[in-house]
Amino acid sequence: MPGIDECLLEAMRLPGARGAALVDWTSGLALGTVGEAPGEDHETSAAEAAELARLAAEHGAFAAADDPGGERPPVEDLIVSNRDSYHLLRFVATPFDSTVFLHLWLAREDGNLALARIRLGEMAGRLVLE
Amino acid sequence: MVATPPPPPPLPVRDGALAGERAHGALSPMLTRLAEERATGVLVREHGTLVLHEGRVIHAESPCAPGLDVLLTARGTLDEAVWRQAADRPGDPPGAVRLLLDAGLLAAGALELCHLGALYDAGYFTLAPSGAPGRFRYEAVARPGPLRPVPVKALERETLRRRRLLHRLWPDPAVDGAPLIRADPLAAPPVTPRRRAVLDRVDGVRTAPQIARELGRHAFHTLVDVRRLAAAGLVSPGPSTAAAPPSAPEVTDPEIALLKRLRDALEAL
Repeated sequence: MPGIDECLLEAMRLPGARGAALVDWTSGLALGTVGEAPGEDHETSAAEAAELARLAAEHGAFAAADDPGGERPPVEDLIVSNRDSYHLLRFVATPFDSTVFLHLWLAREDGNLALARIRLGEMAGRLVLE
Repeated sequence: MVATPPPPPPLPVRDGALAGERAHGALSPMLTRLAEERATGVLVREHGTLVLHEGRVIHAESPCAPGLDVLLTARGTLDEAVWRQAADRPGDPPGAVRLLLDAGLLAAGALELCHLGALYDAGYFTLAPSGAPGRFRYEAVARPGPLRPVPVKALERETLRRRRLLHRLWPDPAVDGAPLIRADPLAAPPVTPRRRAVLDRVDGVRTAPQIARELGRHAFHTLVDVRRLAAAGLVSPGPSTAAAPPSAPEVTDPEIALLKRLRDALEAL
């Protein structure tokens, strides 16, 4: 059964992974971090990523049509790409109330976005379910 | 020719690092000291309790913040009977947690998430400005097994960050503790599903921490929602009752800052 750190370390084994964090998008708190931080430091990048995740989660335009009640995260993941890297934000569905997501930062040259998206989804599931 | 007098000796320079550290520990000098001496025991403050193990926080509790039990049972993650059975076992709550984990009733990640969330949540209220000095009891506490302790500095930094966040969303802290009243503006802005659940429970009696408990959510997260709702003109604070929980300090009010410093100085004596 993996804990937060094990989950993040597993994410870091993906090709091109530079940093990973588990972040709460309501408070902006990083519940766990490994590797490099994309911005100034992990605290700042967590707060910034949280703001982005919150916008995606709260705006109806991005929500799935089948779950308007908001029991599950309305968005699965969020991809941001720039010239040298990818950011992958994966919302974690928990059996209790929470607002958390996994944030993986990938180097563009070695990163495989499709693979990372699948693996991060699996990790998000394993993190909270046996 | 007039001789120039020798220049006066340079003024003493305050140790920047040390001053920064002190300023950082402004939330509670007592707590800073306890962390430095790696104390083990229980710190009781007006609005909550912190349990320290070798200078790090392993557990936090506040009447304003729902505990692990509420969070885990509210949405049926754990059956209430199962929790009570585990919690009734000899030993303290961490023992119960260990039991649930070993029995495979709870995933390690889920538990860690819940535990850290609850700790920072209760810590936020515990470190709120208080009218009375805190008391610390040195005593042996059970090491919480699989749960990660949190450094005092991390908790203090996060608490300050959360105060600033709330202040930025809506600068009036009155909505944090007062019974909430619904306002119906003419052109009501759209409300997200999560905030809708909060708004639906606003009835002129319940406070934000009470709504959080009913929803099985962190109290601070509900404060964020309530401040956003207040900023949107959808809720306003009603007349406060005597038993109202503490509201966050006005971060910019110099008088409160002064009172806080005085209180902290008294605490440090």
